[in-house]
Amino acid sequence: MDPFSAEGELLNLHNYFHQGQYQEVIDFDTAGLSPENALPARVLSLRAQIALGQAEDVIADVEGESEPDLAAVCALAELAAGNESKALKIAEKLAQESADNSTVQVLAGTVLQAGGNSEEALALLSQHQGNLEAVALIVQIHLQQNRTNLAIKEVQAARRWAQDSLLVNLAESWVGLRVGGEKYQQAFYVFEELAQAASTSSIQSLVSQAVAEIHLGRLEEAEAALQQALAKDPKSAEVIANSAVLNIIAGKDATELISALSTTAPEHHYLQDLQEKSDVFDKAATKYSAKVKA
Amino acid sequence: MASSTPNMLTKFESKSSRAKGIAFHPKRPWILVSLHSSTIQLWDYRMGTLIDRFEEHDGPVRGIDFHKTQPLFVSGGDDYKIKVWSYQTRRCLFTLNGHLDYVRTVFFHHELPWIISSSDDQTIRIWNWQNRSLICTMTGHNHYTMCAQFHPKDDLVVSASLDQSVRVWDISGLRKKHSAPTSMTFEDQMSRANQNQADMFGNTDAVVKFVLEGHDRGVNWVAFHPTLPLIVSAGDDRLVKLWRMSETKAWEVDTCRGHFQNASGCLFHPHQDLILSVGEDKTIRVWDLNKRTSVQSFKRENDRFWVIAAHPEINLFAAGHDNGVMVFKLERERPASAFYQNNLFFITKDKHVRSYDFQKNVESPTLLTLKKLGSPWVPPRSLSYNPAERAILVTSPADGGSYELINLPRDGSGSVDATDTKRGQGTSAQFVARNRFAVFNASTQQIDIKDLSNSTTKTIKPPTGTTDIYFGGTGNLLLITPTTVYLYDIQQKKSTAELAVSGVKYVVWSNDGLYAALLSKHNVTIVTKTLEQVSTLHETIRIKSATWDDAGVLLYSTLNHIKYTLLNGDNGIVRTLDQTVYLVRVKARSVYCLDRNAKPKLLNIDPTEYRFKLALVKRNYEEMLQIIKNSSLVGQSIISYLQKKGYPEIALQFVQDPQTRFELAIECGNLEVAVEMAKQLDRPKLWSRLTTEALAHGNHQIVEMAYQKLRQFDKLSFLYLSTGDEAKLTRMAKIAEHRGDFTARFQNALYLGDVNDRIQMFKEIDLYPLAYMTAKSHGLEEECESILEVTGLTEEQITLPTIGTPLSPPKPIVPTFKANWPTKATSQSFFEKALLGQVEGLSLEDEPTATSNGFGFDEAGEDDGAKRNGNLIDADDDEDAAGWDMGDDIVPEVESDFVNVDSAEAGAGSSEADLWARNSPLAADHVAGGSFESAMQLLNRQLGAVNFEPLKPRFLEIYQASKTYLPASAGLPPLINYVRRTVDETDPRKVLPIIPRDIESLATNDLQRGYDAMRTNKLEDGARIFKGILHALLVNAVSTASEVEEARKLIASASEYSIAMNIELSRRKLGSAEEIAKSPEKLKRSLELSAYFTIPKLEVPHRQIALVSAMKLAYTSKNFNSALSFANRMLANGGATKMLDNARKTKAQCERNPNDANEIEFDQFAEFDICAASYTPIYSGSAFEVCAFDGSKYHSKYKGTVCAVCGVCEVGKNGSGLKLVA
Repeated sequence: MDPFSAEGELLNLHNYFHQGQYQEVIDFDTAGLSPENALPARVLSLRAQIALGQAEDVIADVEGESEPDLAAVCALAELAAGNESKALKIAEKLAQESADNSTVQVLAGTVLQAGGNSEEALALLSQHQGNLEAVALIVQIHLQQNRTNLAIKEVQAARRWAQDSLLVNLAESWVGLRVGGEKYQQAFYVFEELAQAASTSSIQSLVSQAVAEIHLGRLEEAEAALQQALAKDPKSAEVIANSAVLNIIAGKDATELISALSTTAPEHHYLQDLQEKSDVFDKAATKYSAKVKA
Repeated sequence: MASSTPNMLTKFESKSSRAKGIAFHPKRPWILVSLHSSTIQLWDYRMGTLIDRFEEHDGPVRGIDFHKTQPLFVSGGDDYKIKVWSYQTRRCLFTLNGHLDYVRTVFFHHELPWIISSSDDQTIRIWNWQNRSLICTMTGHNHYTMCAQFHPKDDLVVSASLDQSVRVWDISGLRKKHSAPTSMTFEDQMSRANQNQADMFGNTDAVVKFVLEGHDRGVNWVAFHPTLPLIVSAGDDRLVKLWRMSETKAWEVDTCRGHFQNASGCLFHPHQDLILSVGEDKTIRVWDLNKRTSVQSFKRENDRFWVIAAHPEINLFAAGHDNGVMVFKLERERPASAFYQNNLFFITKDKHVRSYDFQKNVESPTLLTLKKLGSPWVPPRSLSYNPAERAILVTSPADGGSYELINLPRDGSGSVDATDTKRGQGTSAQFVARNRFAVFNASTQQIDIKDLSNSTTKTIKPPTGTTDIYFGGTGNLLLITPTTVYLYDIQQKKSTAELAVSGVKYVVWSNDGLYAALLSKHNVTIVTKTLEQVSTLHETIRIKSATWDDAGVLLYSTLNHIKYTLLNGDNGIVRTLDQTVYLVRVKARSVYCLDRNAKPKLLNIDPTEYRFKLALVKRNYEEMLQIIKNSSLVGQSIISYLQKKGYPEIALQFVQDPQTRFELAIECGNLEVAVEMAKQLDRPKLWSRLTTEALAHGNHQIVEMAYQKLRQFDKLSFLYLSTGDEAKLTRMAKIAEHRGDFTARFQNALYLGDVNDRIQMFKEIDLYPLAYMTAKSHGLEEECESILEVTGLTEEQITLPTIGTPLSPPKPIVPTFKANWPTKATSQSFFEKALLGQVEGLSLEDEPTATSNGFGFDEAGEDDGAKRNGNLIDADDDEDAAGWDMGDDIVPEVESDFVNVDSAEAGAGSSEADLWARNSPLAADHVAGGSFESAMQLLNRQLGAVNFEPLKPRFLEIYQASKTYLPASAGLPPLINYVRRTVDETDPRKVLPIIPRDIESLATNDLQRGYDAMRTNKLEDGARIFKGILHALLVNAVSTASEVEEARKLIASASEYSIAMNIELSRRKLGSAEEIAKSPEKLKRSLELSAYFTIPKLEVPHRQIALVSAMKLAYTSKNFNSALSFANRMLANGGATKMLDNARKTKAQCERNPNDANEIEFDQFAEFDICAASYTPIYSGSAFEVCAFDGSKYHSKYKGTVCAVCGVCEVGKNGSGLKLVA
């Protein structure tokens, strides 16, 4: 059965996961599920654990499991635990052996993409059969490659068969934030709907909402959303990073946030990028000098 | 039913209890009926439906009336109550109480908010329904008043009573009293007051004008004539009396005798000189107003009539009887007409024969009058035209039916009375040949064929029950009976065909004479000329008329629509009608018709829809194409129509939705399109459907692709086998091996006849016996031995069954796989081809836009080029201005930049940040895009920026503000999006980044903080703030020219403050007061600096601070002259009194001894600027250098150093200037 259809047992579980409500995924009572859904449910739960930073536990959990699904989870966990080369190795193996397994597609695809092998990731993901997660991932990869046109196409294609599915909405919103204009507002609506309903609210959706608001130029509202997110988890890297961006846009001081970020997530793109650019600046600046030294 | 001709045309009948009151809605096809049973019914008499019921009265309701304009009606009943209702809210709005007995009639006034009621309490009352009050009670009748009505124009009321009198009342007093108050003299008031007293009943508002006596019994009903000073009344003496009145008197004119029971109602015909009356003798009678003779009467079997009402506008009447209501017409409104070629002949209301030319759209003068035909009140029924003889045959239903054959005058000059007419008895008469016409007589059931001299040449006995005859094609007649139509051959004197169609009323022949439309009340049946039914359709409302389009489409009119039907029965609406018309002709977009007043009218229609459908039916693709090209067909409806009608291949050309396209493509076997759509949609289900279809077509290439998509390896292998594609089969074997799918591998090996692989495979899966057998059977002894070796067996140990001949698949003879099996070319009709051509045409049309895009690029290129040129010019200028050592390098660099733009434009994948740098010539945008180097280049070129270190925070600030981090899929880094200042822009070539701390925020925040620092004497902070402002402005973007101006002002101001603060700071750095006092040099410098501090153009309050400080220092240092000048300047500036007092005092002190103790370099009278590096004066006229950015000035010797104010730009290095707006 299609796990994304409204009747699916796993619908709620999937939605929790994609809304970023990872704890809810882990707490989900899987006892009532039919046997064929037990594995997908477990995979989701494990992925939620990884997302919550419990990669080591997951690795221990799936140790010795032979199912390609769990192997894929293992790859993801290794990636999250920082063993990128190991993760990639598993993922590449899985991509060859079990390319038709949808879990493998998504998880190995994630690992491959994270490891910088976008082409392989796309090749793997493109074999999906109506797997929205794969679609979302493809969209994200396209966006990361700045191929907005391809991402739009992908979303439109998915929209035709999956209509109003959560993931399609999310993916469309991601694309929307790239396209801009009216799409900013539409994306905002999607995120806001998720973020502002107690049952679906998560850091992820709040941050997404705030990001959309930043793009819309509604700085105060964005700040409110980020404050909400910060209340949920003061250590979330995305919250801090986006708060820093917001502060700078608003002309406020962001040093504190940046230092907070460097303690919680020293590897964050924001910091790396900043450092890189700082170096670029210094290098470029040396090209120029005054004729006469003062 | 009818006692005399013609029939009354009953349009609607309801069944209910006794109807006592009736009212027509003035606009809608509604009638209100008040019943003896206390119910009020609202009927739609056109549709024959009961719309609503109102049941609040207690007992019979006798009076009822619609308001002319408001959605209101009024009723009065035996419960003594008058109720006003809203038919919109379907509620009784309020009740007027006052009558003390049954209310007989109620009527609205035609313009005032009044209701008049008559009652058995012998009074007539007038009510104001707006303030719901009784405004007048008219007493005088001394028995029940049965009826009271307002005059349609004058301030008169007429009433009828069982006291046998009819009274006319003057209510002008009432109108005066209740109209808007006008200035009224005291005398007027007095006279009115007196007048009040004059009447013995205290009534002056309504006075009896005439009392008409003449009825011998009670009078039941009375009515005014709509225009003439006439009154008609009906009484229990069974008489209907006509009265006339003048200003001063009224008298009885005549009596209409005929009712043999009480006459209960009467009225004047609204448009004709007729009186209508009803009575308890169960008859409706129509009287000639002028002759007072009975024109017509209609009798009902069982029901006594109680009331009659006329529609105010149209020719409709309603009469209420014991068992309901009937709505009827007195006469046919269908004008008799016939057309021949471009002329329409018709008979007007006043029985004039006229013609109308379709081509010239002109109506002829009267050709003929037919006054003498039939009775004066009965219009002719039909007209038949004989073009050869220019004769017309007119029938009239009067006197049991008659016809006249008249020759039209050759020249239609003036109205002519018909001469030389030939008459006869007959219900129906039609020309059947040039010199013959047929006359049908219903009563004798006989058809006479006559020649033009009106002598019978032949007599025909039609089938029994024949009601009408029509032309039936040359030499034929169509005979109509209530259930059947016969085609009758006049020569053979027998019917040649018959068709069961009931209730046919009219027959309309197509222009080519091949088809006829048989119209009945609700059906249109199209037949061929041999009376074979082609199609039939049903309408819920009445079909009025029909006419044929030249192309063979039948247009017909119903009460409110013109519709079309094709021969195949497809029909639809052409347009709506606001009034009933009778169609006579269609030409192109024009429909000619006659309205009910027998006036020719021309209606415009849009025939596109039926033309298209007709073209489709006729497969006339050229015309379809023409239509598609030239008109805006409603896309979706046409598509569904085409689909429904089984033209998927044509519909395909119109559909956009891929799913639908796929379905259509499959349906019409257009695999190409199907594949295209399947690729777009990419769903397994579609692929498998496609394979089925493609297999049926023998298109194995598509099948192959679909199987590949579906990953159906087995099927794919088999397909390759059957098409003999060994190469691919081999590949399949490899794939199977790769997949580890042994069954598939075995199968492929079998297909390929690859024994070795099979053996190999068996060995791999430890099926040595099978491997051995295979090897053995194929005579591969070596292999056998090796197997034996592996298994450790000898040949002897194995008992083999008999082995047959080895199986080897036949080798393909024909390389089928190379091409698809020859299939029938997909049907590419003319239409499709043309349409494809059109599509190409369209794409050609599209191309200009594409090329214009191209042009867009070109233009951009040109712009760039221009910019490049501009830069070149700049560079040249710079070189002229000297000192642009990098000038030569920049141009090629910029060039490469632009080349980069173009190449990147071609390949996608550049981030938005990259775009920003391309989209904008602003340094700030380059910074936001992370292109620091190009930003630096720009700044260097624009402002001579060389020392970028101080700008680093600003660069990073802008850069950090450019991106947000959107968490997306779990496990992957967040998506980076780029924040725009052009929020509404989606064109990637126009988007621009957000730049934090824009001009507005700088002006409102930073500048104020700087001022605060100045005020609170925190000069170090202040200097830093103003420098920060300068840096922020150095790398910034604004959107308008006025903002640029603002920015320039802000730069200038920040620069001045920066200099001022630094001057003061450097003064403070000289040392403590004691140190300075000890050293004359330091004292001098201190005095100079404090004086210079007053020079920069600060805001006045801040200048005053500088002046105070300078004044004090000068004063304490005994430089009284300087102190005096500072004091004077302070006083000139004005400000706080305390400060000014201080200045005045100092001034007074200094004026006593206006001398400076210390010589300083400060001439209070000279114009000078301060060098921002040395803090020494630059007197006007002497050479100086400036910073291209902040405008600070320097002695020439500082040329080439970094500007002390902004700390970024090189002094004296001119650039193209600060660029802030893109």
